[in-house]
Amino acid sequence: MTITQTSFAFVSDLVRRETAMLYDPGKEYLVEARLLPLAREAGCPDVDSYVAKLVTNPAERDKVLDALTINETSWFRDNAPYQAFTDMMLPPLLAARSHVRHLSIWSAACSSGQEAYSLAMLLDQHLPSGWTAQILASDVSSTMLDRVRAGRYSQVEMNRGMPATSLVKYFSRTGSEWEVCDDLKKMVRTQSLNLSTPFPLLPTFDIVFLRNVLIYFDLDTKRDILRRVHRVVASDGFLLLGTSETTLDLDEHWGREAHGRVQVHRPTTTAAEQWQPTAMTGA
Amino acid sequence: MEPSLTDVRMVVEEVWTSFLGAEDPLLPMAPGTLDVGWSAAVTVSGEWQGAVSVELPRSMAEEIARRMLGLDDEVDSVGDDDVADAVGELVNMIGGNVKSLMPGPSALSLPVVAAGRVARASDVIEACRLDASWAGAPLLVSVHVRHPEKG
Amino acid sequence: MYALIIDDSRAMRSILRRIVTDLGFETLQAGDGQEALDHLEAGRIPTLCLIDWNMPVMDGYTFITRVRANAAWRDITLMMVTTESEHGQIVRALAAGAHEYVIKPFTPDAIADKLEMLGLVAKPVPA
Repeated sequence: MTITQTSFAFVSDLVRRETAMLYDPGKEYLVEARLLPLAREAGCPDVDSYVAKLVTNPAERDKVLDALTINETSWFRDNAPYQAFTDMMLPPLLAARSHVRHLSIWSAACSSGQEAYSLAMLLDQHLPSGWTAQILASDVSSTMLDRVRAGRYSQVEMNRGMPATSLVKYFSRTGSEWEVCDDLKKMVRTQSLNLSTPFPLLPTFDIVFLRNVLIYFDLDTKRDILRRVHRVVASDGFLLLGTSETTLDLDEHWGREAHGRVQVHRPTTTAAEQWQPTAMTGA
Repeated sequence: MEPSLTDVRMVVEEVWTSFLGAEDPLLPMAPGTLDVGWSAAVTVSGEWQGAVSVELPRSMAEEIARRMLGLDDEVDSVGDDDVADAVGELVNMIGGNVKSLMPGPSALSLPVVAAGRVARASDVIEACRLDASWAGAPLLVSVHVRHPEKG
Repeated sequence: MYALIIDDSRAMRSILRRIVTDLGFETLQAGDGQEALDHLEAGRIPTLCLIDWNMPVMDGYTFITRVRANAAWRDITLMMVTTESEHGQIVRALAAGAHEYVIKPFTPDAIADKLEMLGLVAKPVPA
Protein backbone atom coordinates (compact mmCIF):
# COMPACT_ATOMS: atom_id res chain seq x y z
CA MET A 1 0.00 0.00 0.00
CA THR A 2 1.50 3.34 -1.03
CA ILE A 3 0.12 6.82 -0.90
CA THR A 4 -1.06 8.22 -4.27
CA GLN A 5 0.64 11.26 -5.81
CA THR A 6 -2.61 13.24 -5.46
CA SER A 7 -2.80 12.56 -1.72
CA PHE A 8 0.88 13.27 -1.24
CA ALA A 9 0.59 16.57 -3.15
CA PHE A 10 -2.41 17.59 -1.04
CA VAL A 11 -0.59 16.87 2.21
CA SER A 12 2.69 18.51 1.22
CA ASP A 13 0.79 21.62 0.02
CA LEU A 14 -1.08 21.77 3.32
CA VAL A 15 2.10 21.52 5.36
CA ARG A 16 3.93 24.02 3.17
CA ARG A 17 1.09 26.54 3.35
CA GLU A 18 0.69 26.32 7.12
CA THR A 19 4.29 25.94 8.24
CA ALA A 20 6.52 26.56 5.19
CA MET A 21 8.05 23.13 5.75
CA LEU A 22 8.83 21.17 2.61
CA TYR A 23 7.96 17.57 1.97
CA ASP A 24 9.51 16.96 -1.44
CA PRO A 25 8.68 14.02 -3.69
CA GLY A 26 10.66 11.09 -2.32
CA LYS A 27 9.28 11.68 1.19
CA GLU A 28 6.10 9.70 0.46
CA TYR A 29 7.18 6.89 2.78
CA LEU A 30 7.63 9.38 5.63
CA VAL A 31 4.23 10.99 5.10
CA GLU A 32 2.63 7.59 4.91
CA ALA A 33 4.35 6.31 8.06
CA ARG A 34 3.30 9.39 10.04
CA LEU A 35 -0.29 9.40 8.76
CA LEU A 36 -1.06 5.69 8.97
CA PRO A 37 -1.66 5.72 12.74
CA LEU A 38 -4.00 8.72 12.33
CA ALA A 39 -5.85 6.95 9.52
CA ARG A 40 -6.32 3.85 11.68
CA GLU A 41 -7.50 5.96 14.59
CA ALA A 42 -10.06 7.69 12.34
CA GLY A 43 -11.32 4.33 11.12
CA CYS A 44 -10.01 4.69 7.58
CA PRO A 45 -8.74 1.59 5.77
CA ASP A 46 -5.76 3.41 4.22
CA VAL A 47 -3.95 6.74 4.10
CA ASP A 48 -5.60 7.85 0.84
CA SER A 49 -9.13 7.61 2.20
CA TYR A 50 -7.93 9.48 5.30
CA VAL A 51 -6.43 12.26 3.18
CA ALA A 52 -9.76 12.56 1.33
CA LYS A 53 -11.36 13.30 4.71
CA LEU A 54 -8.97 16.16 5.42
CA VAL A 55 -10.63 18.42 2.84
CA THR A 56 -13.67 18.84 5.05
CA ASN A 57 -12.23 18.18 8.49
CA PRO A 58 -10.11 20.95 10.06
CA ALA A 59 -9.58 18.98 13.30
CA GLU A 60 -7.96 16.13 11.40
CA ARG A 61 -5.93 18.66 9.39
CA ASP A 62 -4.47 19.96 12.66
CA LYS A 63 -3.53 16.42 13.66
CA VAL A 64 -1.78 15.94 10.33
CA LEU A 65 0.19 19.16 10.81
CA ASP A 66 1.22 18.01 14.27
CA ALA A 67 2.25 14.59 13.02
CA LEU A 68 4.31 16.01 10.17
CA THR A 69 6.01 18.83 12.04
CA ILE A 70 7.21 16.63 14.87
CA ASN A 71 10.91 16.53 15.29
CA GLU A 72 11.41 12.99 16.33
CA THR A 73 13.08 13.67 19.57
CA SER A 74 14.87 12.06 22.44
CA TRP A 75 16.51 13.29 25.61
CA PHE A 76 19.99 14.71 25.09
CA ARG A 77 19.56 13.91 21.41
CA ASP A 78 22.94 13.20 19.79
CA ASN A 79 24.64 13.90 23.12
CA ALA A 80 27.60 15.88 21.70
CA PRO A 81 25.66 19.18 21.37
CA TYR A 82 24.88 18.98 25.06
CA GLN A 83 28.54 18.41 25.87
CA ALA A 84 29.29 21.51 23.82
CA PHE A 85 26.62 23.33 25.84
CA THR A 86 28.23 22.57 29.19
CA ASP A 87 31.91 22.53 28.18
CA MET A 88 32.11 25.23 25.54
CA MET A 89 29.19 27.62 25.85
CA LEU A 90 28.49 27.84 29.57
CA PRO A 91 31.99 28.77 30.88
CA PRO A 92 32.44 32.02 28.89
CA LEU A 93 28.82 32.99 29.46
CA LEU A 94 29.11 32.43 33.21
CA ALA A 95 32.10 34.78 33.19
CA ALA A 96 30.47 37.38 30.94
CA ARG A 97 27.11 37.44 32.73
CA SER A 98 28.42 37.53 36.30
CA HIS A 99 26.86 40.97 36.81
CA VAL A 100 23.33 39.84 35.90
CA ARG A 101 23.68 36.18 36.89
CA HIS A 102 21.01 35.19 34.38
CA LEU A 103 21.06 33.20 31.15
CA SER A 104 18.45 33.27 28.41
CA ILE A 105 18.14 30.30 26.09
CA TRP A 106 15.86 29.49 23.14
CA SER A 107 14.86 25.99 22.16
CA ALA A 108 13.35 26.73 18.74
CA ALA A 109 10.98 24.16 17.22
CA CYS A 110 10.92 22.48 20.59
CA SER A 111 8.47 19.72 19.64
CA SER A 112 7.41 17.88 22.80
CA GLY A 113 10.06 19.61 24.91
CA GLN A 114 12.81 17.02 25.43
CA GLU A 115 15.47 19.48 24.27
CA ALA A 116 14.22 22.30 26.50
CA TYR A 117 14.07 20.05 29.56
CA SER A 118 17.42 18.41 28.76
CA LEU A 119 18.94 21.91 28.81
CA ALA A 120 17.05 22.72 32.01
CA MET A 121 18.60 19.63 33.68
CA LEU A 122 22.10 20.68 32.62
CA LEU A 123 21.49 24.22 33.89
CA ASP A 124 20.27 22.83 37.20
CA GLN A 125 23.54 20.90 37.47
CA HIS A 126 25.93 23.58 36.21
CA LEU A 127 24.58 27.01 37.15
CA PRO A 128 26.27 28.44 40.26
CA SER A 129 23.91 29.17 43.12
CA GLY A 130 22.18 32.51 42.89
CA TRP A 131 21.93 32.29 39.10
CA THR A 132 18.69 31.99 37.18
CA ALA A 133 17.91 30.87 33.66
CA GLN A 134 14.97 31.04 31.34
CA ILE A 135 14.45 28.69 28.43
CA LEU A 136 11.99 29.74 25.76
CA ALA A 137 10.46 26.65 24.13
CA SER A 138 8.71 27.61 20.92
CA ASP A 139 6.89 25.57 18.33
CA VAL A 140 4.34 26.06 15.57
CA SER A 141 2.11 23.37 17.07
CA SER A 142 -0.16 24.25 19.98
CA THR A 143 -0.55 20.54 20.78
CA MET A 144 3.21 20.31 21.26
CA LEU A 145 3.28 23.40 23.47
CA ASP A 146 0.53 21.88 25.63
CA ARG A 147 2.72 18.80 26.01
CA VAL A 148 5.74 20.90 27.01
CA ARG A 149 3.71 22.70 29.67
CA ALA A 150 2.33 19.41 31.01
CA GLY A 151 5.86 18.00 31.08
CA ARG A 152 4.55 14.42 30.97
CA TYR A 153 6.22 11.68 28.99
CA SER A 154 5.42 8.04 28.36
CA GLN A 155 7.60 5.18 29.49
CA VAL A 156 8.84 4.64 25.94
CA GLU A 157 9.77 8.32 25.60
CA MET A 158 11.60 8.27 28.94
CA ASN A 159 13.74 5.36 27.80
CA ARG A 160 15.12 7.41 24.91
CA GLY A 161 18.45 8.80 26.09
CA MET A 162 17.48 9.82 29.62
CA PRO A 163 20.23 8.91 32.09
CA ALA A 164 18.71 6.87 34.92
CA THR A 165 20.22 9.21 37.51
CA SER A 166 18.40 12.16 35.94
CA LEU A 167 15.18 10.18 35.64
CA VAL A 168 15.03 9.57 39.37
CA LYS A 169 16.25 13.08 40.23
CA TYR A 170 13.92 15.16 38.06
CA PHE A 171 10.85 13.01 37.37
CA SER A 172 8.06 11.35 39.29
CA ARG A 173 5.48 8.79 38.23
CA THR A 174 2.03 10.09 37.32
CA GLY A 175 -0.12 7.18 36.24
CA SER A 176 1.51 5.48 33.29
CA GLU A 177 3.65 8.54 32.58
CA TRP A 178 6.54 10.41 34.16
CA GLU A 179 6.21 14.09 34.99
CA VAL A 180 9.04 16.59 35.13
CA CYS A 181 9.52 18.37 38.47
CA ASP A 182 8.27 21.92 39.10
CA ASP A 183 11.77 23.42 39.38
CA LEU A 184 12.49 22.52 35.77
CA LYS A 185 9.01 23.49 34.59
CA LYS A 186 9.52 26.96 36.09
CA MET A 187 12.65 27.40 33.99
CA VAL A 188 10.80 26.71 30.72
CA ARG A 189 8.41 29.21 29.11
CA THR A 190 6.42 28.25 26.02
CA GLN A 191 5.46 30.41 23.07
CA SER A 192 3.69 29.69 19.82
CA LEU A 193 5.98 30.73 17.02
CA ASN A 194 6.19 30.05 13.30
CA LEU A 195 9.84 30.31 12.29
CA SER A 196 8.99 31.12 8.68
CA THR A 197 7.14 34.36 9.50
CA PRO A 198 8.47 37.52 11.27
CA PHE A 199 9.17 36.81 14.95
CA PRO A 200 7.14 38.41 17.72
CA LEU A 201 9.07 40.55 20.20
CA LEU A 202 11.74 38.29 21.70
CA PRO A 203 14.39 38.83 24.35
CA THR A 204 18.09 38.61 23.49
CA PHE A 205 19.29 35.04 23.83
CA ASP A 206 22.66 33.86 25.03
CA ILE A 207 22.20 30.47 23.37
CA VAL A 208 19.84 29.34 20.60
CA PHE A 209 19.26 25.67 19.78
CA LEU A 210 17.73 25.51 16.29
CA ARG A 211 18.28 21.87 15.47
CA ASN A 212 16.96 19.62 12.73
CA VAL A 213 14.33 22.07 11.57
CA LEU A 214 16.00 24.20 8.86
CA ILE A 215 16.24 21.11 6.66
CA TYR A 216 12.49 21.37 6.14
CA PHE A 217 12.64 24.89 4.63
CA ASP A 218 13.69 26.10 1.18
CA LEU A 219 16.93 28.02 0.83
CA ASP A 220 15.43 31.52 0.89
CA THR A 221 13.38 30.77 3.98
CA LYS A 222 16.45 29.25 5.67
CA ARG A 223 18.47 32.41 5.02
CA ASP A 224 15.62 34.60 6.22
CA ILE A 225 15.25 32.60 9.45
CA LEU A 226 18.99 32.75 10.15
CA ARG A 227 19.00 36.51 9.51
CA ARG A 228 16.18 37.01 12.00
CA VAL A 229 17.78 34.67 14.54
CA HIS A 230 20.98 36.72 14.25
CA ARG A 231 19.13 39.76 15.58
CA VAL A 232 18.08 37.99 18.78
CA VAL A 233 21.41 36.30 19.63
CA ALA A 234 23.71 38.21 21.97
CA SER A 235 26.92 39.37 20.30
CA ASP A 236 28.89 36.90 22.45
CA GLY A 237 26.17 34.23 22.21
CA PHE A 238 25.93 30.88 20.45
CA LEU A 239 23.76 29.25 17.81
CA LEU A 240 23.62 25.50 17.47
CA LEU A 241 22.14 23.84 14.38
CA GLY A 242 21.48 20.15 13.67
CA THR A 243 24.38 17.89 12.74
CA SER A 244 23.44 17.76 9.07
CA GLU A 245 22.74 21.49 8.95
CA THR A 246 26.15 22.82 9.97
CA THR A 247 27.49 22.72 6.44
CA LEU A 248 24.78 25.16 5.39
CA ASP A 249 26.04 28.07 3.49
CA LEU A 250 25.78 30.63 6.29
CA ASP A 251 26.48 34.22 5.41
CA GLU A 252 29.34 36.37 6.74
CA HIS A 253 27.34 37.30 9.84
CA TRP A 254 28.10 33.97 11.43
CA GLY A 255 31.45 32.56 12.45
CA ARG A 256 32.03 28.90 13.14
CA GLU A 257 33.83 27.19 16.00
CA ALA A 258 34.28 23.47 16.42
CA HIS A 259 33.88 21.58 19.66
CA GLY A 260 34.81 18.00 18.89
CA ARG A 261 32.53 17.06 16.04
CA VAL A 262 29.98 19.73 16.91
CA GLN A 263 29.98 22.96 14.94
CA VAL A 264 28.83 26.01 16.89
CA HIS A 265 27.96 29.31 15.23
CA ARG A 266 28.66 32.73 16.72
CA PRO A 267 27.64 36.14 15.47
CA THR A 268 30.49 38.05 13.88
CA THR A 269 30.54 41.77 14.31
CA THR A 270 30.48 43.42 10.92
CA ALA A 271 31.55 46.99 10.28
CA ALA A 272 27.95 48.13 10.05
CA GLU A 273 27.04 46.56 13.35
CA GLN A 274 29.87 48.16 15.26
CA TRP A 275 27.87 51.39 15.21
CA GLN A 276 25.04 49.76 17.08
CA PRO A 277 25.06 49.09 20.80
CA THR A 278 25.66 45.43 21.49
CA ALA A 279 22.74 43.48 22.79
CA MET A 280 24.40 42.40 26.04
CA THR A 281 21.79 42.00 28.72
CA GLY A 282 22.35 44.28 31.66
CA ALA A 283 25.19 46.17 29.96
CA MET B 1 -7.24 1.48 44.95
CA GLU B 2 -7.43 0.46 41.34
CA PRO B 3 -5.64 1.58 38.19
CA SER B 4 -7.55 3.60 35.59
CA LEU B 5 -8.51 1.95 32.33
CA THR B 6 -6.74 4.76 30.45
CA ASP B 7 -3.44 4.03 32.17
CA VAL B 8 -3.79 0.28 31.72
CA ARG B 9 -4.55 0.77 28.04
CA MET B 10 -1.48 2.97 27.64
CA VAL B 11 0.73 0.34 29.30
CA VAL B 12 -0.62 -2.46 27.12
CA GLU B 13 -0.32 -0.37 23.93
CA GLU B 14 3.29 0.47 24.71
CA VAL B 15 4.14 -3.20 25.15
CA TRP B 16 2.38 -4.03 21.90
CA THR B 17 3.93 -1.29 19.77
CA SER B 18 7.42 -1.92 21.18
CA PHE B 19 7.59 -5.65 20.58
CA LEU B 20 4.85 -6.65 18.19
CA GLY B 21 5.16 -3.94 15.55
CA ALA B 22 3.55 -0.52 15.24
CA GLU B 23 1.91 -1.45 11.94
CA ASP B 24 -0.65 -3.70 13.64
CA PRO B 25 -2.10 -1.49 16.36
CA LEU B 26 -4.16 -2.76 19.23
CA LEU B 27 -7.76 -1.64 18.71
CA PRO B 28 -10.48 -1.20 21.33
CA MET B 29 -13.29 -3.71 21.11
CA ALA B 30 -16.57 -4.49 22.80
CA PRO B 31 -16.39 -7.38 25.28
CA GLY B 32 -17.28 -10.62 23.55
CA THR B 33 -16.59 -14.30 23.66
CA LEU B 34 -12.96 -15.21 23.61
CA ASP B 35 -11.77 -18.71 22.89
CA VAL B 36 -8.89 -18.71 25.37
CA GLY B 37 -5.95 -20.74 24.07
CA TRP B 38 -3.31 -19.36 26.41
CA SER B 39 -3.35 -17.18 29.50
CA ALA B 40 -0.84 -15.83 31.97
CA ALA B 41 -0.94 -13.95 35.24
CA VAL B 42 1.35 -12.17 37.67
CA THR B 43 0.46 -11.17 41.21
CA VAL B 44 1.53 -8.02 43.01
CA SER B 45 1.93 -8.03 46.77
CA GLY B 46 2.89 -5.22 49.11
CA GLU B 47 1.33 -1.77 49.42
CA TRP B 48 -0.97 -2.77 46.61
CA GLN B 49 -2.37 -6.28 46.31
CA GLY B 50 -3.60 -7.46 42.97
CA ALA B 51 -3.18 -9.60 39.91
CA VAL B 52 -2.79 -8.83 36.23
CA SER B 53 -3.74 -11.40 33.62
CA VAL B 54 -3.74 -11.75 29.86
CA GLU B 55 -6.00 -14.13 27.90
CA LEU B 56 -5.34 -14.84 24.25
CA PRO B 57 -6.60 -17.13 21.49
CA ARG B 58 -4.14 -19.85 20.56
CA SER B 59 -3.17 -18.47 17.14
CA MET B 60 -2.46 -15.01 18.56
CA ALA B 61 -0.28 -16.45 21.34
CA GLU B 62 1.70 -18.37 18.70
CA GLU B 63 2.11 -15.26 16.54
CA ILE B 64 3.34 -13.27 19.58
CA ALA B 65 5.90 -16.00 20.31
CA ARG B 66 7.05 -15.97 16.68
CA ARG B 67 7.56 -12.23 16.66
CA MET B 68 9.29 -12.03 20.03
CA LEU B 69 11.58 -14.95 19.25
CA GLY B 70 12.23 -13.64 15.74
CA LEU B 71 11.10 -16.89 14.14
CA ASP B 72 10.46 -17.22 10.44
CA ASP B 73 6.82 -18.01 9.57
CA GLU B 74 7.79 -20.31 6.74
CA VAL B 75 10.58 -22.28 8.32
CA ASP B 76 10.41 -22.45 12.09
CA SER B 77 7.72 -24.17 14.06
CA VAL B 78 6.70 -22.66 17.36
CA GLY B 79 6.51 -25.03 20.32
CA ASP B 80 4.36 -24.83 23.44
CA ASP B 81 7.38 -23.91 25.54
CA ASP B 82 8.08 -20.97 23.19
CA VAL B 83 4.51 -19.77 23.53
CA ALA B 84 4.52 -20.15 27.32
CA ASP B 85 7.77 -18.20 27.54
CA ALA B 86 6.57 -15.33 25.33
CA VAL B 87 3.13 -15.01 26.92
CA GLY B 88 4.77 -15.09 30.35
CA GLU B 89 7.10 -12.25 29.41
CA LEU B 90 4.17 -10.29 28.00
CA VAL B 91 2.25 -10.44 31.28
CA ASN B 92 5.46 -9.71 33.21
CA MET B 93 5.91 -6.45 31.29
CA ILE B 94 2.27 -5.41 31.61
CA GLY B 95 2.13 -6.44 35.27
CA GLY B 96 5.32 -4.61 36.20
CA ASN B 97 4.07 -1.40 34.66
CA VAL B 98 0.62 -1.75 36.23
CA LYS B 99 2.36 -2.19 39.60
CA SER B 100 4.10 1.15 39.03
CA LEU B 101 0.72 2.85 38.53
CA MET B 102 -0.17 1.99 42.11
CA PRO B 103 1.31 3.12 45.43
CA GLY B 104 4.44 1.09 46.27
CA PRO B 105 6.59 -0.55 47.28
CA SER B 106 5.24 -3.87 46.10
CA ALA B 107 6.77 -7.04 44.71
CA LEU B 108 5.96 -8.69 41.41
CA SER B 109 5.66 -12.48 41.20
CA LEU B 110 7.10 -14.57 38.41
CA PRO B 111 4.45 -15.26 35.76
CA VAL B 112 2.15 -18.26 35.85
CA VAL B 113 1.24 -19.45 32.36
CA ALA B 114 -1.40 -21.96 31.29
CA ALA B 115 -2.71 -23.50 28.10
CA GLY B 116 -6.33 -22.50 28.72
CA ARG B 117 -7.41 -20.23 31.56
CA VAL B 118 -5.21 -19.75 34.64
CA ALA B 119 -6.97 -20.36 37.91
CA ARG B 120 -7.71 -17.20 39.83
CA ALA B 121 -7.73 -16.82 43.61
CA SER B 122 -11.24 -16.72 45.05
CA ASP B 123 -10.64 -13.58 47.13
CA VAL B 124 -10.15 -11.19 44.21
CA ILE B 125 -12.55 -8.98 42.28
CA GLU B 126 -12.14 -7.54 38.80
CA ALA B 127 -11.05 -3.89 38.99
CA CYS B 128 -10.40 -3.14 35.35
CA ARG B 129 -10.66 -4.97 32.04
CA LEU B 130 -9.33 -4.07 28.63
CA ASP B 131 -11.04 -5.78 25.73
CA ALA B 132 -9.07 -5.26 22.56
CA SER B 133 -8.40 -6.78 19.20
CA TRP B 134 -5.13 -7.38 17.45
CA ALA B 135 -4.75 -8.47 13.84
CA GLY B 136 -8.48 -9.18 13.79
CA ALA B 137 -8.69 -11.40 16.88
CA PRO B 138 -9.84 -10.53 20.41
CA LEU B 139 -7.77 -10.51 23.59
CA LEU B 140 -8.39 -9.59 27.20
CA VAL B 141 -6.16 -7.92 29.79
CA SER B 142 -7.66 -7.71 33.25
CA VAL B 143 -6.60 -6.36 36.63
CA HIS B 144 -7.96 -7.94 39.80
CA VAL B 145 -7.61 -6.59 43.31
CA ARG B 146 -7.82 -8.45 46.57
CA HIS B 147 -11.28 -8.09 48.06
CA PRO B 148 -10.93 -5.74 51.05
CA GLU B 149 -13.09 -7.87 53.39
CA LYS B 150 -11.37 -11.08 52.48
CA GLY B 151 -7.85 -9.63 52.21
CA MET C 1 33.21 -7.25 22.98
CA TYR C 2 30.74 -9.48 24.85
CA ALA C 3 27.32 -8.69 26.25
CA LEU C 4 25.87 -11.07 28.84
CA ILE C 5 22.08 -11.11 28.57
CA ILE C 6 20.42 -12.16 31.82
CA ASP C 7 16.67 -12.76 31.64
CA ASP C 8 14.47 -15.71 32.50
CA SER C 9 12.50 -15.27 29.27
CA ARG C 10 14.05 -16.75 26.14
CA ALA C 11 11.83 -14.47 24.07
CA MET C 12 13.26 -11.40 25.80
CA ARG C 13 16.83 -12.72 25.52
CA SER C 14 16.20 -13.21 21.82
CA ILE C 15 14.95 -9.62 21.41
CA LEU C 16 17.96 -8.22 23.29
CA ARG C 17 20.40 -10.50 21.45
CA ARG C 18 19.22 -9.19 18.09
CA ILE C 19 19.55 -5.58 19.26
CA VAL C 20 23.04 -5.80 20.76
CA THR C 21 24.32 -8.02 17.94
CA ASP C 22 23.35 -5.26 15.52
CA LEU C 23 25.33 -2.88 17.72
CA GLY C 24 28.45 -4.99 17.37
CA PHE C 25 28.41 -7.24 20.44
CA GLU C 26 28.90 -10.96 20.70
CA THR C 27 26.53 -12.42 23.26
CA LEU C 28 26.39 -14.79 26.20
CA GLN C 29 23.11 -15.69 27.86
CA ALA C 30 21.90 -16.63 31.30
CA GLY C 31 18.41 -17.49 32.56
CA ASP C 32 18.97 -16.16 36.08
CA GLY C 33 21.51 -14.34 38.25
CA GLN C 34 23.25 -17.53 39.40
CA GLU C 35 23.82 -18.74 35.83
CA ALA C 36 25.24 -15.33 35.07
CA LEU C 37 27.61 -15.52 38.05
CA ASP C 38 28.69 -18.96 36.81
CA HIS C 39 29.78 -17.34 33.54
CA LEU C 40 31.82 -14.73 35.41
CA GLU C 41 33.39 -17.26 37.76
CA ALA C 42 34.38 -19.38 34.77
CA GLY C 43 36.30 -16.39 33.46
CA ARG C 44 33.82 -15.33 30.80
CA ILE C 45 33.90 -11.64 31.68
CA PRO C 46 31.67 -9.50 29.47
CA THR C 47 31.98 -5.79 28.77
CA LEU C 48 28.28 -5.34 29.45
CA CYS C 49 25.54 -7.12 31.39
CA LEU C 50 21.86 -6.56 30.53
CA ILE C 51 19.99 -7.62 33.65
CA ASP C 52 16.34 -8.43 34.31
CA TRP C 53 15.15 -7.87 37.87
CA ASN C 54 12.59 -10.61 38.57
CA MET C 55 14.05 -14.04 37.89
CA PRO C 56 14.00 -17.42 39.62
CA VAL C 57 17.00 -18.66 41.69
CA MET C 58 18.79 -15.30 41.88
CA ASP C 59 17.23 -11.98 40.94
CA GLY C 60 18.97 -9.20 39.08
CA TYR C 61 19.32 -6.94 42.10
CA THR C 62 21.18 -9.63 44.03
CA PHE C 63 23.34 -10.30 40.98
CA ILE C 64 24.39 -6.63 40.89
CA THR C 65 25.34 -6.61 44.56
CA ARG C 66 27.40 -9.82 44.01
CA VAL C 67 29.22 -8.35 41.02
CA ARG C 68 29.93 -5.12 42.85
CA ALA C 69 31.36 -7.06 45.82
CA ASN C 70 34.14 -8.46 43.62
CA ALA C 71 36.84 -5.97 42.64
CA ALA C 72 37.93 -8.17 39.73
CA TRP C 73 34.60 -7.44 38.01
CA ARG C 74 34.52 -3.69 38.52
CA ASP C 75 35.00 -2.87 34.82
CA ILE C 76 31.78 -4.59 33.80
CA THR C 77 29.05 -2.15 32.80
CA LEU C 78 25.76 -3.13 34.42
CA MET C 79 22.47 -2.12 32.85
CA MET C 80 19.12 -3.17 34.24
CA VAL C 81 16.49 -4.02 31.60
CA THR C 82 13.34 -4.70 33.53
CA THR C 83 9.65 -4.06 33.91
CA GLU C 84 10.31 -2.89 37.50
CA SER C 85 9.57 0.81 37.12
CA GLU C 86 8.79 2.13 40.58
CA HIS C 87 10.83 5.22 41.31
CA GLY C 88 12.21 3.66 44.50
CA GLN C 89 13.33 0.49 42.74
CA ILE C 90 15.33 2.45 40.17
CA VAL C 91 17.04 4.39 42.99
CA ARG C 92 17.87 1.09 44.74
CA ALA C 93 19.39 -0.47 41.63
CA LEU C 94 21.54 2.60 40.94
CA ALA C 95 22.69 2.71 44.56
CA ALA C 96 23.65 -0.98 44.35
CA GLY C 97 25.89 -0.25 41.39
CA ALA C 98 23.85 -0.37 38.19
CA HIS C 99 25.16 2.14 35.65
CA GLU C 100 21.97 2.46 33.68
CA TYR C 101 18.36 1.41 33.73
CA VAL C 102 16.01 0.63 30.84
CA ILE C 103 12.36 0.01 31.55
CA LYS C 104 10.48 -2.63 29.58
CA PRO C 105 8.89 -2.13 27.12
CA PHE C 106 11.67 -0.48 25.13
CA THR C 107 12.56 0.07 21.48
CA PRO C 108 15.92 -0.92 19.94
CA ASP C 109 16.78 2.79 19.78
CA ALA C 110 16.44 3.09 23.55
CA ILE C 111 19.08 0.40 24.09
CA ALA C 112 21.34 2.00 21.46
CA ASP C 113 20.94 5.46 23.06
CA LYS C 114 21.93 4.16 26.48
CA LEU C 115 24.92 2.19 25.23
CA GLU C 116 26.07 5.24 23.34
CA MET C 117 25.73 7.31 26.52
CA LEU C 118 27.81 4.72 28.34
CA GLY C 119 30.48 4.98 25.64
CA LEU C 120 30.08 1.35 24.57
CA VAL C 121 28.69 2.10 21.13
CA ALA C 122 30.09 4.72 18.80
CA LYS C 123 27.67 7.21 17.32
CA PRO C 124 27.45 6.65 13.58
CA VAL C 125 29.19 9.46 11.74
CA PRO C 126 26.52 11.73 10.24
CA ALA C 127 26.34 11.65 6.47
